[in-house]
Amino acid sequence: MAVALTMAQMKVAVLRHAFHGRRAQTAGTGAALGALFAAGTIYLAFVDPDLLAAGYAVWLLGWMLGPVFMGGGDETLRPEYFSLLGLPPRRLAAGLLVAAFVGVAPLVSLTALLGLLVVGVRLGVANAVVAVPAMALQLAVFVLLSKVSVAVIGLALRSRLGAIASGVLNGAILAALGQIWVFFVAFGQTGVPAAVWYLPSGWGLLAVQGDWWALAALAVLVVLLLGAWAALLGRRAGATRTSARGRRPMTAATVNGAIVAKELRTWSRDLVRNHQLTFALSYGVCFAASPLILGWDGMLPYAGPIFVVMAAAMASNVYGTDGTALWLTLMTPGVSDVRGRQLAWLSAQAPVAIVLTVVFTAITGGPWPLMLALLSALLGGAAGLVPLISVFALVPGTDPHRRAGNPLRTSEDDGGLTGLAYLMLVLVIVTGVPAAFVAVRYGWAGVAVGVLTGVLCYWGFGLLAERRLCSHGPELLDVMRTGRKPETTVKFRLDQLSKTQKSIVWWCFGFGAIPLVPQGIIATVFVANDMLRHSWFLATYMPPGLRYPVAAAFILLGLAMYGTGLWFVRPRPSGEGAAA
Amino acid sequence: MTPALEISGLTKRFGDNLAVDHIDLGVPQGSFFGLVGQNGAGKTTTLSMAVGLLRPDGGSARIFGTDVWSAPERAKAMVGVLPDGLAMPERLTGREVLTYLGLLRGLDKDVVRQRAEELLAVLELDGAEKTLVIEYSTGMRKKIGLATALLHAPRLLVLDEPFEAVDPVSAATIKTILRGFVAGGGSIVLSSHVMALVEQLCDHVAVIDKGRVAAAGTLDEVRGARSLEDTFVELVGDQDTGVKELSWLSH
Ligand SMILES: Nc1ncnc2c1ncn2[C@@H]1O[C@H](COP(=O)(O)OP(=O)(O)OP(=O)(O)O)[C@@H](O)[C@H]1O
Ligand SMILES: [Mg+2]
Repeated sequence: MAVALTMAQMKVAVLRHAFHGRRAQTAGTGAALGALFAAGTIYLAFVDPDLLAAGYAVWLLGWMLGPVFMGGGDETLRPEYFSLLGLPPRRLAAGLLVAAFVGVAPLVSLTALLGLLVVGVRLGVANAVVAVPAMALQLAVFVLLSKVSVAVIGLALRSRLGAIASGVLNGAILAALGQIWVFFVAFGQTGVPAAVWYLPSGWGLLAVQGDWWALAALAVLVVLLLGAWAALLGRRAGATRTSARGRRPMTAATVNGAIVAKELRTWSRDLVRNHQLTFALSYGVCFAASPLILGWDGMLPYAGPIFVVMAAAMASNVYGTDGTALWLTLMTPGVSDVRGRQLAWLSAQAPVAIVLTVVFTAITGGPWPLMLALLSALLGGAAGLVPLISVFALVPGTDPHRRAGNPLRTSEDDGGLTGLAYLMLVLVIVTGVPAAFVAVRYGWAGVAVGVLTGVLCYWGFGLLAERRLCSHGPELLDVMRTGRKPETTVKFRLDQLSKTQKSIVWWCFGFGAIPLVPQGIIATVFVANDMLRHSWFLATYMPPGLRYPVAAAFILLGLAMYGTGLWFVRPRPSGEGAAA
Repeated sequence: MTPALEISGLTKRFGDNLAVDHIDLGVPQGSFFGLVGQNGAGKTTTLSMAVGLLRPDGGSARIFGTDVWSAPERAKAMVGVLPDGLAMPERLTGREVLTYLGLLRGLDKDVVRQRAEELLAVLELDGAEKTLVIEYSTGMRKKIGLATALLHAPRLLVLDEPFEAVDPVSAATIKTILRGFVAGGGSIVLSSHVMALVEQLCDHVAVIDKGRVAAAGTLDEVRGARSLEDTFVELVGDQDTGVKELSWLSH
């Protein structure tokens, strides 16, 4: 116990120092927000135990996923600090666990868990007594699950399987957030699913309500998690990547074949790109499939197109990720590197997109013209825009062999990368608009338009990229080598903006899709097909004369949001940055 | 006879720093040309401009009479380059890198396979058949870089510090390869900090100091009766103060 107490004291000391400076403000804001959530949760205890169970499930999710998106969670006391002391892993884990209970987040969560006490008191004396150990155990489960999931993901990102798994998970979570309305509608219609009771987050509540076994289960879970965490802490230090995999020999015989082979190998062997691809796939499928929860399959066929758009955004810095390897392209000027990369991008993404679109459209039985038109237009548009954007708005990447521990960090300029990805999202969607429009109005003619614009984008944008690569190759190489953009090129940077501007940009890009796509474009499609009173599509509830205007207004709103966002991050000469 | 590499008036300015200041150099065909100079003298910058990887502010570079900037396709086909510290296609194995580049250079598939085989064997990289370039050691990276420079059998090699971080056994191999290349009529430009190595290998030398040519010519013209090291220190060394010491470091 001495170790644990010492560690807890260390943590208190560290936090005391931290909370003196400017971080105190952030922590204070966080604590206030947390207290608000906690109060809300306690309120649920008075309303409906079902909702309380759901509430605790959200807390659990927060504990498990929060650190994944916020840089690895609470690392005030790092296991590495103690690695030279030679503590046995279990005592180290127990000590760190005790220290982990010291802090704002556990305190806030404990407050939220007072809901258990409220439920207990309302049921009887025995229930109220059980509530006290239940609260402690429940909090331990939260903290431990958080620690274990961070440790697992940290390990996972060192292996292909891990990169893929985290890609799937991140995609699913982001898609769920984007489609959060589905879940609200679903819960509104069918009530809280019973599953929330059986998640570990519900066990405390079960125990308080008289299922005594749940208390024992919580205790067992704590012991198991502690063991798991101790084991993971041991792995954290030494694990290295082995590379004794079998390699396929390269059988290409032509120039383009060689570039495609190189690109495909790079994609399949690079954990970052593994992660990005599975992210795009998972996002597309989850986003399109989530309305199935409501029994509505109208969005399902869009999984393919959404995947294409996301995959393009992920590849928006394709030249930057390869770093200074660009010199080889410069030394072989007769070769069209861009065409090879376009082919490679298509041969990796198109099969997936086509299968997704065809299968899902077959399941829903249409609308075939729209889906095929979109698919061909977007594939061509993306394959054209990927090299174009990455050449014209290159964000210098860190050379692959110089990157540090975190495989997901490919550039020092992640603001620039994010801006580029958003730009790509918008532009690729734009390349799909003409075909979609014609398909909605005239049916199969849209497919012809889609193929035409797709081929044109592929050819034309590819040509532009190739020209730029030829004329500005040495400059691009210099940007990669020094990591600095020369005065003449433009910047897409978020970090030049003030806090308010940044949050405006985030809101615009983050939520612009809602008015534009579902409330605007999809609603127009529904109205055009006389599919009225459709779930949450506002325009379909309007009186006849107002349907198109409302949908059009939403489209305008969406476009205005993207426009505003783009205006803030618009390209500007680097000198102007300080003034902005 | 046209020189293998002719640099005339190359200039490069980075901000306020005039890194390369009107450098003129001629590398005769069949010569083994050494470029020496202090850190930051401008060797890498000069060589990058000479092969078309960095755009000069002024001046020109010709490879066998072909201008690198106006006819890049023809000029670059005749040169093999080993740049300093640039990336490779990192997720390929050594053999795959050579296959990829050979095809890119327009070589036939079978020729590429055979040359890759030989290069990997000679440079002792064939033991690391399953290792990706990103997992290579520093010396292995130099060696695979050299292999890519040799692959298409160019008539001129431009090598920036080819012996840095290479072990003595491999260095001996590389020296043999390079000597054979020159004996077979090829021309080489290399930069190095190791005077003994330059004296041992090269027949022509240029000393670069602060972006200018301090001395150039055949090895004997430049060093006279002394060693190259003495000549070098005298040419570029800081004459007035001599070698400085860190006073606080002695106990
Ligand atoms: N991309 C760049 N941006 C700004 N300055 C640069 C850049 N590249 C080189 N320099 C500067 O130009 C000068 C010459 O650098 P260069 O790399 O050519 O030297 P070098 O002779 O190769 O040195 P070393 O022996 O250390 O390799 C140095 O002062 C360096 O700081
Ligand atoms: Mg150098």
